[in-house]
Amino acid sequence: MGDAPRSPAPADRALIVDGLSVAYNTPRGWLTALDDVSLSIQHGGALGLVGESGSGKSSVVMALLGLLDAGARVSARRVAFDGANLLANAPALRGRRIGVVFQDTSAVLNPACTIGQLVTEPLLVHLRMTKLQARTRALELLDEMGIVRPIQVMDCYPHQLSGGMKQRVAIASALATEPQLLLLDEPTTALDVTVEAQILDLLDRLRARHGLSMLLVSHNLGIVDRLCDRVSVLYAGRVAETGAAARVLDHPSHPYTKGLLAALPQPELSTERLSPIAGGLPDLVVPEPGCNFRPRCPFAVAGCDAPQSLLGATHQVRCHRVADIAALPWPSGEAETIAPARRAGVPLLRATGLRRRFATGGMLRRAFGRADPGVVAVDDVSLSIRTGEIVGLVGESGCGKSTLGRLLLRLITADDGALQFDGSVIPARPDAGFRRRAQIVFQNPDTALNPRQTIGAILHRPLRHFGLARGAAARREIARLLALVRLPASHAERYPHQLSGGEKQRVGIARALASRPDFLVCDEAVSALDVSVQAAVLNLLADLRDELGLAYLFISHDIGVIAHIADRVMVMYRGVMVEEGSVRDVLHPPYHPYTELLLSSVPIIGKHRGGGSVARAGDRVDAAGDAGASPSGCRFAGRCARKLGPICDVAAPPWQEVEPGHRIRCHIPLDVLRDIVPWQRGHALERVARL
Amino acid sequence: MTTLALAAPRRRRRAPFILLVGLTVLGIIALLAVIGIWYTPYDPTAFAVRIRMAAPSFAHPFGTDEFGRDVASRVLAGAHLSLAIGFGAMLISLVFGVPLGLLAAFHRGWVEEVIMRAVDLLISLPPILLGLLILAVTPPNLFKTILAVGLVYIPILVRLSRAVGLGLLEEDFVQAAFARGEGAVSILWHEILPNAWPPIIVECGLRVTFAILLGSALSFLGLGPQPPSSEWGLMIAESRTFLTQAPWVGLAPGLCLCLLLVSVNLVGEGLREALDPHLSGRAHG
Repeated sequence: MGDAPRSPAPADRALIVDGLSVAYNTPRGWLTALDDVSLSIQHGGALGLVGESGSGKSSVVMALLGLLDAGARVSARRVAFDGANLLANAPALRGRRIGVVFQDTSAVLNPACTIGQLVTEPLLVHLRMTKLQARTRALELLDEMGIVRPIQVMDCYPHQLSGGMKQRVAIASALATEPQLLLLDEPTTALDVTVEAQILDLLDRLRARHGLSMLLVSHNLGIVDRLCDRVSVLYAGRVAETGAAARVLDHPSHPYTKGLLAALPQPELSTERLSPIAGGLPDLVVPEPGCNFRPRCPFAVAGCDAPQSLLGATHQVRCHRVADIAALPWPSGEAETIAPARRAGVPLLRATGLRRRFATGGMLRRAFGRADPGVVAVDDVSLSIRTGEIVGLVGESGCGKSTLGRLLLRLITADDGALQFDGSVIPARPDAGFRRRAQIVFQNPDTALNPRQTIGAILHRPLRHFGLARGAAARREIARLLALVRLPASHAERYPHQLSGGEKQRVGIARALASRPDFLVCDEAVSALDVSVQAAVLNLLADLRDELGLAYLFISHDIGVIAHIADRVMVMYRGVMVEEGSVRDVLHPPYHPYTELLLSSVPIIGKHRGGGSVARAGDRVDAAGDAGASPSGCRFAGRCARKLGPICDVAAPPWQEVEPGHRIRCHIPLDVLRDIVPWQRGHALERVARL
Repeated sequence: MTTLALAAPRRRRRAPFILLVGLTVLGIIALLAVIGIWYTPYDPTAFAVRIRMAAPSFAHPFGTDEFGRDVASRVLAGAHLSLAIGFGAMLISLVFGVPLGLLAAFHRGWVEEVIMRAVDLLISLPPILLGLLILAVTPPNLFKTILAVGLVYIPILVRLSRAVGLGLLEEDFVQAAFARGEGAVSILWHEILPNAWPPIIVECGLRVTFAILLGSALSFLGLGPQPPSSEWGLMIAESRTFLTQAPWVGLAPGLCLCLLLVSVNLVGEGLREALDPHLSGRAHG
């Protein structure tokens, strides 16, 4: 098209991509994954590349690395790295002057090599160092990554390290040859929010110290805002909008960017209904000369079918209506349904003293010469859920969230504790009545549905099992269930692989609803979905609660999602509850130091710019990770930034009641906790003013 | 994401081409085998010393063997025996192996221990020795050969189906069935088995041919079908002695065995394809 303005003097650019197009050969024809994409990164600059799955983000990374399949068709006016033609020299440059960090460390770090071998390998291969030199340099690198006791870690194997540690090793390995450009492909997506915050801090430091240029590929707008000074929004292979991060994210101009931001659940705007982007990605095999976002765009007019070009000087937008719609917000798709005043329901489920221990033979424990005490996944947890109530459960991975969810459904047996449902005690092997009334929605829509059954057959299983409907009545019921999750009845004929991720998740919800349950455990039910789809599913879950009076236990690691949907929140740390209360109470001080850590770690758009950064504990990580915790004291003591002293290590913290329904399990007096600086200071006002 | 999926409703799929080819060839072999029980151009066991080891001719398209018997007639007459050993043994290992394997996967603990240790015991014995154990104590007959060969292959199917089952039990859709409180049989039948079929079918295709070969090895040791029976494995074994003078004697049964092997594997591969909903037109991803 040649409409992209010529890049300014290239001397200050570390990377210039001009008119990059990538197409893959498919049985149906050439699939245009990237269409005339132009990017540039300044020396020492960080560019964020955002977009939903299928937008072509990873194709950019692969093209820059020269790692696309031989069958891919790549063309570009110019791809220059530090003055050299990158496309021609990619094999020589990658791993040497261009470092890469991928999302899945378990796939990147060879499980048969020690960390020392992994980090020294690029030094030996690319820099031709001697073994001793390489080892010394590797130790320096690991130390710089904030790894405590790097000498021990050098001899560990990848499986002995936590996810965050592995990502640090991967970064160390990428930086070993001191590259000028670091490509980060969803580097923190698989990590906990607290670990993610640490990695982002680390990347920020490294960038400043080494003058690194970075290309960050992410679906998470908050991370991009945290780390990048510029951002490009990719939609279906085309750059929709590009500009300074603060500018683009605070004043989105392209309809797609507006939609992405509107679909994002914001902890501070919990009552507002989310606005999903309707529809799905266009068919990339069929060339679209006009705006490719047009079918999903609420601002589309007749002129949108004409070719669009990126307009503007520093803040470029591929939309001819940019001036007309500048002041318009993304419309909330459905009419705002005023939720009926939520009646305080009657207690539905009550668990007391649930406990579950898993025996383990942790390699690291053995290596460090400890006896195997097992892992207490859930330790003495009591909770109650009322009808029509959504209880959010947050915590890092491995804290026992999912185990608790499954204990409540009696899917795994509890070692101790009692479970009451609707007034009656539920035994370890519950009857069909309980099974019918308590159901589960899973995280991964790809594995939650039997690939060999049609959607109709999948929904028919619970109907048949509980004897709810048969024959024509069953078919009507399946149609009703599909309508309930806003899917057409014709989907009953399809197989799961013929549906999109969001549609599959809806089927998973419909299957859980088939037995007309009263209680649903949603185990990370929206975590695997794109933002726009996630918004639609969250709206659906909220509507179903209003329509059917369902109660949910909503397990999530995403505070934004929990704040949006839940009435009450429980914060779990290593098997124990540390805080519980209404969403409003938990999101505001006083809160448990762990809650503070979780909240302060959430990358939220505009947060770091608003100041008010909270001191974060645990910035340096230990291979043993959890070694510091003693069984009798507070489990969080080892990581706690506000630890009082020895009392935290020896005495179990008491529950302190802030107000009815809001309690915190901590030794620190409530008055002290009340004085904690709110985590979102400055942010909420800014957001509200913008909208 | 789903523009293609939103296209026309799913039509009934045509059977894969290779399934049709495999079934056709297998059908012809089976038909000939049935005909061969009652009719052969020559008597498959009558000696005709004057035309010993005659090269292939118009009268004897595959030549004659060391007793002057028509090789074509013998292949025809012995086909049903070979097919019975191959498919019979496969069915026995399938019928016993798959349920045992899935049961072991489903009931971790002592049930699994008992099944898997028994399987280890079976697998630790060389197949021929195991066949000997079963066949040597009583006079051999066809049914016992099938049983012995089937028994040899049970451990392979137990291990395979257990491994497949273990993987599937972790899947969320199986967990969903547990959350409904479904019983073991229902979960195994509706959720596990349909997804476990593809590797099992491929394995079964291989087992049919291996079973015929093992059956002939047992015959060779005098424990399978006995002369003058014209089971293919036995024929190949007998032809070994004069391979240099009359190669055609072993060629015909060898070719037929090859043809059977290929067609069975085509059917297995075709079935796997036919049963896989993923191959029925995918949304572009």
